Amino acid sequence: MIALHTRALSKTFKVKRKQAGLAGSFRALMRPEWETKEAVKRIDLTVEAGETVAFLGPNGAGKSTTIKMLTGIMHPTAGEAKVLGFVPWKERNALAYRIGTVFGQKSQLWYHLPPVDTFDLISRIYELTRGDYLTRKRDLVDRFEIGPYMNTPVRKLSLGERMRCEIAASMLHRPRLLFLDEPTIGLDAVVKQRIRELIRERNRTEGTTVFLTSHDAGDVEQLCSRAVVIHHGGILLDEPVEKLKREVLNRKTIWLTLPEGADPLELRGAEGAEVTEKNGRRYRVSVDLKRTGIEQVLRLLIGRIRIEDVSVEDPPLEEIIQHLYRMRKPEEVTT
Amino acid sequence: MNGTAFRWKAAVRKTGAVAQITLRQQLAYKADFVFRSLFLLLILFVFVQLWSTAYDGEGSEVVGGFTLKQIVWYLVFTEALTMAGPPLCARIEEEVKNGDIAVRLTRPFSYLAYHYASYLSEALFRFVIHLGVGSAIAWPFVGAPSFGFGWLGLAVLSIGALTVDFLLKAVVALCAFWVEEVRGLDFVLQKLQFTVGGMLLPIDLMPEWLQRVCAWLPFQAVLYFPARTAVNSEGANLAAQLGVQLAWTALLGVLVTEVYRRGVKKLHVNGG
Repeated sequence: MIALHTRALSKTFKVKRKQAGLAGSFRALMRPEWETKEAVKRIDLTVEAGETVAFLGPNGAGKSTTIKMLTGIMHPTAGEAKVLGFVPWKERNALAYRIGTVFGQKSQLWYHLPPVDTFDLISRIYELTRGDYLTRKRDLVDRFEIGPYMNTPVRKLSLGERMRCEIAASMLHRPRLLFLDEPTIGLDAVVKQRIRELIRERNRTEGTTVFLTSHDAGDVEQLCSRAVVIHHGGILLDEPVEKLKREVLNRKTIWLTLPEGADPLELRGAEGAEVTEKNGRRYRVSVDLKRTGIEQVLRLLIGRIRIEDVSVEDPPLEEIIQHLYRMRKPEEVTT
Repeated sequence: MNGTAFRWKAAVRKTGAVAQITLRQQLAYKADFVFRSLFLLLILFVFVQLWSTAYDGEGSEVVGGFTLKQIVWYLVFTEALTMAGPPLCARIEEEVKNGDIAVRLTRPFSYLAYHYASYLSEALFRFVIHLGVGSAIAWPFVGAPSFGFGWLGLAVLSIGALTVDFLLKAVVALCAFWVEEVRGLDFVLQKLQFTVGGMLLPIDLMPEWLQRVCAWLPFQAVLYFPARTAVNSEGANLAAQLGVQLAWTALLGVLVTEVYRRGVKKLHVNGG
């Protein structure tokens, strides 16, 4: 079954151009100049029910604009879309009962009230029966481990606690399709991991289709089975994440801080690892996962040199996309 | 038919739920209440002094059909109502600017009904508080508000008044879907309310030609009707005033719905 389908979906904006300075502002006032910006260019996309799709791209690539069109809150300039059988911008209300949305940078929880109040409100808005709501709430509170926060005003919660409540709230009405726009932004590694597990679990147990945008390669790697990369409003790549992992997500970064007087030359010579950046006593070591493993490199380095601090990171998604972009010829990019 | 009845019932339940949560959130704004109340005390004190001097100078107990007691309580009611209305324009403008509107629009509940429920709940709650605060000034200076049926008129007309007020502000606020900046228009609306709406001066005391103009404007339905009826229920035609409020509600309701329908197509939801 198809969860969502788009054909040549496009969105253009008119943006006012302004020259710098006061004179420029006056000129823009008298004779405004407009520039047309193509935020989304003829996107063709089909997502099957139950899929977990990562929708990726650098800032300004058109990810959020696409999500806003698919949830019906923005009208496209051209093209078609059907989400769960509805044309989103024409049947927004009917669609709203069947989808869930989490905008990582916007909160749906009432700031001065405990999350349980927003949960109650959502149950009324989505017309859940009292019995169904209470059972569902109990289940989500248990799974998301948010019991201790349910009666604390939202303003007193940490970002991680709040995000768990946000995602649980968005699942209260059992959405068949969940749109997550940067759900792990600003969270620490442990909370990110937990949130990914919880989303994956919902996908597994309830068959919820997940459509996610993220800047975090970890979200893609651990949560999604398919990655769609857009750049300059068009689709650059649409492939299984497994393939992407083999081809592109095959590097990790180790950040090392060495103690005063340590010899950085000792970092050289580890198979598949190279120092790519130095900042004072901090060194960035890039590891090629096709040739070696993180554990092997760390074991080798710890055996050789005293280390003050160490952290392991995924490469930033921007870097991966730049890499993909370089790999493909411009004519291959959908325009 | 059953389907329609069910939809209406669901809409009423949703409206009630939004009103309830808004009220609960209001209870968190204690400092805001204290500041507003202090300001209300101050301006009412100034008005009491001004009008007392005016009546002393006039040497008459009744000016333009109002006693000093009536005029002071009239001002308590108009001020309590004016200050009760939440800043709808600023809120919608902010929602559009920071993109929070996305959260509201992805819910299966009308955006306008959401704001109406929230507006009415907050405004009625504040109105009651302001009445209490206003009484603390007016009562000792001009005596108890023994207006009999006037209170009933105030209660009935205040709902219509806040509804018309909401719709007027909503027309301006929804312009934010096109221009993002609506504070200027909101300022003009407020000042019209202060003047031709009869907030500072009952419309009866205005020149006759201006009274005729005011009769064709919606502003009288917001402050003048409830306050005037409260202080002089015998001289007021409650049914006619309710009829005018209803007519403006219908007219502005159609306008607001149409502006929203067009605006939401144009809307650019900001932010990632």
